[in-house]
Amino acid sequence: MPSWPEKRSYIGSLAKRVDAPAKVSGAAKYSSDVQPEGWLYGMILRSKWPKAKITKINLEKAARLPGIKAAVLAREGERIVRFYGEELAAVAGLTKQACLDALRAIEVEAQPLPFVVREEDAREESSPRVWDEQPNYSRPQPRDRGDVDKAFGECAAVVEGFYSTPVQIHHPLETHGNTISWTGDNLTAWSSTQGISSVRDGLAGNLNVPQNQVRVICEYMGGGFGAKFGPGVEGALAARLSQAAKAPVKLMLTRFDQALAVGNRPSSFQKIKMGATADGKLHAYQLESFGTAGIGAGSSEGGSGGAAFPAPYIYTVPNTRIAQASVAVDAGSARAFRAPGNPPASFGMESIMDDLAVKMDIDPVEFRLRNDPSEVRQKEYRLGAERFGWKQKYKKPGTSPGPIKTGVGCAGARWATGGGGTQAQAQVSPDGSIEIRCGTQDLGTGTKTVIAVIAADLLGLKPEQIQVRVGDTNYPPSGASGGSTTCPSVAPAICDLCTNVLQELQKHSGLAEVRGENWLAACKKLGVDPLLVSGKWQEGLSGSGAGGVQFAEVAVDTDTGFVKVKKITCIQDGGLIVSKLTCESQVNGGIIMGLGYALYEERIMDRHSGVLLNPNFETYKLPALADMPEIDVVLLDMPERGVIGIGEPVTIPTAAAIGNAVANALGVRVGSLPITPAKVLAALGKVDKPA
Amino acid sequence: MKSFQYATAASPAGARHLAGDNGRFLAGGIDLLGEMKEYISQPDILVNVKALPGLDRIEASTTAWTIGANVTISQLEENAELKRVFPALQQAAAEVGSKQIRNVATVGGNLAQHSRCWYYRHRDILCLKKGGDTCYARNADNKYHSLFTGNTCISPVVSNLAVALGALDATVVVQREDKPLRWSIAQFYAKAWENPTAHNSLEPGDLILKVEVPLAQQRSAYLQVSEKSAFDWALVSCAAAAKVEGGKFSKARIVLGAVSNVPHEVQAANDLLEGKVLDDGLAEKVADLLVAKAHAHSENGYKVPIARALIRRALTSLAA
Repeated sequence: MPSWPEKRSYIGSLAKRVDAPAKVSGAAKYSSDVQPEGWLYGMILRSKWPKAKITKINLEKAARLPGIKAAVLAREGERIVRFYGEELAAVAGLTKQACLDALRAIEVEAQPLPFVVREEDAREESSPRVWDEQPNYSRPQPRDRGDVDKAFGECAAVVEGFYSTPVQIHHPLETHGNTISWTGDNLTAWSSTQGISSVRDGLAGNLNVPQNQVRVICEYMGGGFGAKFGPGVEGALAARLSQAAKAPVKLMLTRFDQALAVGNRPSSFQKIKMGATADGKLHAYQLESFGTAGIGAGSSEGGSGGAAFPAPYIYTVPNTRIAQASVAVDAGSARAFRAPGNPPASFGMESIMDDLAVKMDIDPVEFRLRNDPSEVRQKEYRLGAERFGWKQKYKKPGTSPGPIKTGVGCAGARWATGGGGTQAQAQVSPDGSIEIRCGTQDLGTGTKTVIAVIAADLLGLKPEQIQVRVGDTNYPPSGASGGSTTCPSVAPAICDLCTNVLQELQKHSGLAEVRGENWLAACKKLGVDPLLVSGKWQEGLSGSGAGGVQFAEVAVDTDTGFVKVKKITCIQDGGLIVSKLTCESQVNGGIIMGLGYALYEERIMDRHSGVLLNPNFETYKLPALADMPEIDVVLLDMPERGVIGIGEPVTIPTAAAIGNAVANALGVRVGSLPITPAKVLAALGKVDKPA
Repeated sequence: MKSFQYATAASPAGARHLAGDNGRFLAGGIDLLGEMKEYISQPDILVNVKALPGLDRIEASTTAWTIGANVTISQLEENAELKRVFPALQQAAAEVGSKQIRNVATVGGNLAQHSRCWYYRHRDILCLKKGGDTCYARNADNKYHSLFTGNTCISPVVSNLAVALGALDATVVVQREDKPLRWSIAQFYAKAWENPTAHNSLEPGDLILKVEVPLAQQRSAYLQVSEKSAFDWALVSCAAAAKVEGGKFSKARIVLGAVSNVPHEVQAANDLLEGKVLDDGLAEKVADLLVAKAHAHSENGYKVPIARALIRRALTSLAA
């Protein structure tokens, strides 16, 4: 049985990202950089109507424009479009401008239909239905555990609150898209994807081509957070355009496209009531919530689980009543989004945790120590509080002096993770070089580095001696990169592979010791034929379940409502840390994304026109360098638990911790994300009702 | 975007001639290209004015500074002497867009830029400002919109420089056909107060040549609040300038940005400061006068307390 080496030189070290030179020098070719000979631009025509019956689409005029090589419909025949931005047709042409002109030349006949784009409007019985056959609002059946009504009577303190989170849009820096090229009946797709295998299977199914005639390549990709598993409508259109034009077609979404139709995190509106007994133990919890997954999570790939979320999240409350609903609106649908369900769950629950702690006059960290069932998080709270200086920084809510008030807050996370199902292959050449091939993909999280450092430690080599090849369906299969499963899926397979390599090399070379300084001599004994060795994921090398806690410190200008996050401290467990540098980088990214969720990001749908009002980075605001706090990351190395993924848990508690810090600074709660100056001033009672 | 001709002008008169009936002048192009990409502006010809002689210079005399229309925002931001003499202008420049934008964007373009209203900028919405018949923002998502307007459109003027230059009593020199016009900042934007489709008082073919800033005042300050720490539009901005001698204010001017379709100024508020020493009560009274006629819509009432805070802080910084 393979096992992790006792003595680790590169595993868990700050070893450099193996592809860093390629990335910083521009040598790395991302899927969106690929330019096969004779490639054409592809672009998509989208619905201008939030809802309409499309009766006719005439492509003829567009197809005849100079430079246009193909034009296809997204779907044949009459159809209903249900959100602004739904795909209608696509064109391929020699230049981007030719495609833009062609899109404007496509004639669409449509009968506009009544629509509804806002959650609060769609809940009304009288609102237009998104789907004729069912009401927009799914009235939930409350689920009871224990005796909630009686339990509230037994509480020493009860608080109620209303908390809301916005629809968050998937905006990786590299948009969704593919470059697709046919050679006879065989198709090659360069995809910006989290799953080369799932894109291959999706394309094969879509186009009715055997899977062995589809090859998907993704050597470098610019970010994916749960919405890049399949080829998407845009991938299928690119393949059909390429077929029709008999030329490679590159169809990368524009930023405008990206905002509309490739998925988002559902909103949430949470009415929570919670009580604790005199000893500060949670005793009763009641939740009524709803949110929107747009036209519906079921209608999109990936599956987001709709607008429901885990409640009462990481805490155990003996008496609970939970009623969760979804409301459909005429807007782009939800897809899995970094820790689906968890950031909204964390925001609601951790907010009311602090509100209750304040009411009971218990320190928020102490309140969590009394109620958090996880021993790991208990340890993390203690360690984090010490490191962050919680005792020195925590003051009674709203008591920080002066107009610019400081505050602190904390919150915890939970994520299942786990892994499996990866195979890998090594080719060891007589000259001592080694190439490891694995059909996983590196989202930028450091998968190639993970493979290199593991192989280096097991083989007694240096990471730069390991040639790592990933991102090609011609390599042995691995799963999609989602659910924080990549590292715990890939790392054990590489451990197994390298263990097998040593055994095979011993056998073929006849040498007992083949590692390190003996490596080259052993390889030379192979003669002319390289050694080809396989490995696969094995039990016992990876684990599952991550916690993690975060602390936030903010300064809030109570005259202007401006919030500045000064510091985030994160204590994160992740089993055996494989690549410390890239792991910390993931934590930084998760915190930055959480900060955006806390303060800036929000999809805004216009009630009257039904369009998305902020399909750009000007008004769909993302955090940038000047918004960054000091980020302090502590990784708890727990090798005994095996390899555990941490990509998702690290983004979960950030917004809740920031929200709690703002409440601590102000002495009043801003219960709605994003926490904007407008909402801060409203919470402080400084905004008059509109005239 | 729609295809267009391109020409480079050697003189203001030549630029005017080349622009014809449906031409636009190209300097930094930051605002213009955005409008062209969304088909909001569809000029037949772009006339490059970057080569016009002398317009890329900052010149100081004993009575005024002359800033050419093609001076970049970065040039203002990085000019140490300007920072000393007109701190409000330097601060306003430093808050424009990102460094990359400031390196390219020009003084003329910043003043002449069009509305950032998200209905106006939306490719599939024909709003009042684009010649439609409805101001969508009035009864919908207006958190970035105006508290004051002279017409039905409530999209605010967003030029940072206009706010600072207004407080500094600057003159904008505009070439109209063959004669130069000399406008105050108020005159430069007056038409936007009356006419919902106007962004400023410029007519097609009008070319901004330069801005003159008199050396009349001693102190100035510009402040803005945005949702983000940098690279974001002001929710509210405020510039103030005054002579302060022995603690007493004179010739004070306070201008608010992003709250009206013109830089917002109230003469009575300026007058109230004349000859007085600033204290908290006076600052509040000045703020009262500036926001007295504010008309908040469903989402933008929060701009009033921000405006008040910025007025107070700007005046306090002048008094300090």
